[in-house]
Amino acid sequence: MSGPDGSALVVNGRAHPIDGVPSHERLLDTLRGRLDLKGTKEGCRTGNCGACTVLVDGRSALSCLVLTHEVGDEPVTTIEGIAADPNGRRVQQAFLEEGALQCGYCTPGFVVALTGLLSESPGATAEELLTDLQGNLCRCTGYAAIVRAVRTLRAEGP
Amino acid sequence: MGFELVAPRSPEEAFRLLEEGAGAASVLAGGTDLLFDLDRVTTAPRRVVSLRHLPWRGHAWQGDTLVVGSTEPLYELERDGSVAARLPGLHTAIRAVGSRALRHRATLGGNLARAAPASDLLPILLALDATVEIAGPAGTRRMELDRFLLASRTTALRPPELIRSVTVPAAPSVYLWQRVRPANDISQVGVAIAHPGPAVYRIAVGGIVPRPRRLPGAEAGLLSDPPPGPERVRAAEEAAREAPFPSDRRATEEHRRRVVRALVERGLVHLAGGAA
Amino acid sequence: MIRADAPAKLEGRIRFGTDRTRPGMLWAALVPAPVAHGRIRQLDLDPARRAPGVVAAIGAAEERALLPGRGAEATPIFPGEIRYRNQPIAAIAARSLEEARAAARAVRAEIEPLPLLADLDSVLPGWPEEGLPADAPINAHVRARHGDVEGEFARADRVRRDAFRTSGVAQVPLEPHACIAWIEGEVWHVLTSTQSPFGVREDAGELLGLPPERLVVEGSWVGGGFGGKVAALVEPYALLLAAASGAPVRLALTYREEFQLTRSTLPARVWIASAVRGGHLTARTVRLLLDTGGSLPGRDFATGYAIAFLLGPYRLDAFEVEGYAVRTHKPPFGSHRAPLAPQCTFAADGHTDALARDLGVDPVAFRRAHVWTAGDRTALGQEVGPFGAAAALDRARALQEEWRRSMPAGTGLGVGLGYWSTGTGAGGEVRLSLTPERLTIHEGEREIGSGSVVRGLVAMAERTLGLPADRIVLEYGDTATAPYDAGVFGSRTLGALGQAVGAAAHELTAELGRRLGAAGPARLGVEGDELWAAADGRRSPIAQLLTPGERDHGGLLRTGRHYGRSGAIDPARVHAGEFYAYHDFTASVHLAAVQVDRETGQVTVLRYAAIQDAGRVIDPPTFRAQVEGGVAMGLGTALTEEMLWGPDGRLENPGLLDYRVPTLLEIPPIEVIPLEGFPGAGPEGAKGVGEPPIIPVPAAVANAVADATGVRLYELPLTPERVARALMAR
Repeated sequence: MSGPDGSALVVNGRAHPIDGVPSHERLLDTLRGRLDLKGTKEGCRTGNCGACTVLVDGRSALSCLVLTHEVGDEPVTTIEGIAADPNGRRVQQAFLEEGALQCGYCTPGFVVALTGLLSESPGATAEELLTDLQGNLCRCTGYAAIVRAVRTLRAEGP
Repeated sequence: MGFELVAPRSPEEAFRLLEEGAGAASVLAGGTDLLFDLDRVTTAPRRVVSLRHLPWRGHAWQGDTLVVGSTEPLYELERDGSVAARLPGLHTAIRAVGSRALRHRATLGGNLARAAPASDLLPILLALDATVEIAGPAGTRRMELDRFLLASRTTALRPPELIRSVTVPAAPSVYLWQRVRPANDISQVGVAIAHPGPAVYRIAVGGIVPRPRRLPGAEAGLLSDPPPGPERVRAAEEAAREAPFPSDRRATEEHRRRVVRALVERGLVHLAGGAA
Repeated sequence: MIRADAPAKLEGRIRFGTDRTRPGMLWAALVPAPVAHGRIRQLDLDPARRAPGVVAAIGAAEERALLPGRGAEATPIFPGEIRYRNQPIAAIAARSLEEARAAARAVRAEIEPLPLLADLDSVLPGWPEEGLPADAPINAHVRARHGDVEGEFARADRVRRDAFRTSGVAQVPLEPHACIAWIEGEVWHVLTSTQSPFGVREDAGELLGLPPERLVVEGSWVGGGFGGKVAALVEPYALLLAAASGAPVRLALTYREEFQLTRSTLPARVWIASAVRGGHLTARTVRLLLDTGGSLPGRDFATGYAIAFLLGPYRLDAFEVEGYAVRTHKPPFGSHRAPLAPQCTFAADGHTDALARDLGVDPVAFRRAHVWTAGDRTALGQEVGPFGAAAALDRARALQEEWRRSMPAGTGLGVGLGYWSTGTGAGGEVRLSLTPERLTIHEGEREIGSGSVVRGLVAMAERTLGLPADRIVLEYGDTATAPYDAGVFGSRTLGALGQAVGAAAHELTAELGRRLGAAGPARLGVEGDELWAAADGRRSPIAQLLTPGERDHGGLLRTGRHYGRSGAIDPARVHAGEFYAYHDFTASVHLAAVQVDRETGQVTVLRYAAIQDAGRVIDPPTFRAQVEGGVAMGLGTALTEEMLWGPDGRLENPGLLDYRVPTLLEIPPIEVIPLEGFPGAGPEGAKGVGEPPIIPVPAAVANAVADATGVRLYELPLTPERVARALMAR
């Protein structure tokens, strides 16, 4: 499905027409405001917190710093669609078992970003994964349980 | 703030769209810096010209020189093992830019064109003697990066010109930086050193006014290979003296000088095979 | 134990304040004051009213018209005098957020600038050496003393004096303040992301002149609070806009506004002097200047509360404290996870650590020799009760020796000792309802993330009733339907509401015992889908124990209450102002291992241990998570976080780019060590642990830096520049 001018946004496997979306609209606002996919969180809107992380063509992107029309035909995956990816389910399970969340506002961003990292770099070590999660801020957990979840996923440490 | 977004299919179309925009048009590559700004300012461009359809992505080695298309996302360079092996300083500097999610979209050309004074990429590209290929309606021209950068947020690009590619000769190199918060922060200073040949050292610093620059005084004192301790110390001290460091909310001039001195010395030790 | 809210949070199904909408909802934007101090001469909202999509534009005049009967001049929501930069002077509701923001920019205001009180240094440069000017802008003055202070200092064989400075820090919840307001007949409603629905009802009701029955507050899921969401902030603007527009209005702060408008911890200057005789700490005097921003006179809570932390948890023969709450043109001082306690502890514990080193005594042993134990009284004369500091210090000392042996040369080790006491405030109430299928806990708080509600209260029900967590559900309600509670703050939730759950459970099991014909209370259990109760060898399904009315309507109901609790201080020791007495003295002793780059000043925390006096740990994973989170937040206060205001009162770093909260890479491995056996007044002797773990962190880190380098830092945060400068100055 696509709009009259052919523009469509593919999110979690479904195409949505976006020809009515203004040029300056951010992917974050399209997802939350038009598609009602509110699992993607609005945080700082300056690319510094990671709460709005989604996957664009399998790679993590800060949806507050992406124009919706710039996505083109690259598929978007949000937290609502992450469980369709086996890595997404593994990440959710590890976070669940380690209790790697408190208020939960950063959680979708962490789950999506880590899922992207696992898919993109299947051989990455726990340390490499953690280094590449530095753009996702969490104010509640002190990251300790998140670190445990990443280590559990990599079965490398305690 | 509303604007018109256009995504030309050819450079010629891009030039035309930018010329029509006459001063009220902005160029969008990865968008990570432009969109950061647009959410904060009240005067937005009326037109944004996206480069995503231009055939300027990709990077390749031509002999010992890396040629990077201007719309190449930084992450593509980061994940290429040959970049880490042959341009280690550039690889380190790329890893220092923002977060992984940011580097998936941020481009090398965008970083150069936006010319942020605290950019982590400009010092290392200066030290590596990078050149910029500029495309415009009248054809292309090449310019050394040192001439391309005019001031903070100001380059030699004449609208509607665009950066087409960046050429970086391979060299042993190192990039070191100082931040209040080690991860994902703006660097107070960045020190880049390239060592392209015997007893040749090129040193550049970022986090200074009006723009990152080379430090010829410090370079000139390095005559040995590897430079012995006293020579390294003299070069580090000269580096700390010769650049016009600013005082701002991120650091005072005094602190920047102190750190540059330390980082230049560490960089030279690293290039001589010691630990940085 | 998996938290009940975890699956929905991991799948993105939880709806926070920022996620909520209502049909026909309008979007709001605030109009920021362009100066930090000034008087509004004229406010022209017409350009905004004419802007596309605008439904309502309100300022002081509209506030007066919408809320008659509060006095002709009183406009507390849009006051005529601007007290801090970006203070809202008007608000807009429009059909879209973009239109609301565009219209907000169109508002024209004529403002007479007034003299600016920028900071402590410019307002009171001379105190305490010089006296206080007659016209000093003081919100509050506190003074307390006891014993022969001058005599002890005169007799001392060693005196140490230190001065410290601390910076403003922001709470930085990832979710900014967000609410939706609407009016139904006479009743004003607001759905908001808050730590305290009843607190918002009280604050907003006072500002709006609405009695409790005309204002209903419903909490949403909260994306982090940390003290920043205990009081009303956005709600009054949204409610007024809803009244003006006749439509539901959503107001969420931008992240920039979150930094600019939230009440938080402001800068302080501290002076401490201690007298020692024969190796004994005999007397301490303390001076505190606290920037309380645009707080109104009489509204200062912080000075008298915080100044006691500067004395430390020590036995003293004599003491004197004196402090001033200083008015400046910043947003008012507000709560922030143990507000000012980490900063005061940085000063007090750093001073004590340095004093011990002066004396050539092991700093941990020196603390150990003077620290309160049960039976002691605080300087203000309050009874201490069971307090784990001495045991925690012993533990820390053993750990320090172990680390000293195993860590590389150049590593600095520092111990920090902090304490806290919990304020359960007005207490709270819960209702339990038991049906044949499940137990429902009806209560008024929403989970803010700490787990004190979704785990703490559920764990209490599990323990007191013997039911598994999957048979226990929480029902929140709003201020019209839920039982009263003061809010999720002050490390009080488990102590107050957890006790209330226990009390209600006690009533419930007693009643079931009676219905079974037993002498004592019943136990509960599950078989298949059905709950049962048993006592004295008799057992029956719950379905058979309920009356027909209970079966049809909500089950067996019992209410539990907690009436709050406080300590008592000796009024003879108080000479001016208000001091506070909470209860359950709780010790936190932390050990930090750091490495310091002597050229760049970069401090790297390599390893960390937190020994937490817990009374009794009710839910180990939740306990551990609170301590880990508190330590991380404290590391931000210690090393990187600092609000920077310009001389014009402008916050210069209102965003995450230059206000640096820790990322995953700055947090070292944290060993969490619970210390039980010093019970508090919470359920089973539990003490609140929401705030205590943040308190000793800056002290532990600074003490470790002093250990590594021999140089002590007197100003927070310990940025590379401050550390490098101190090392150079040596």
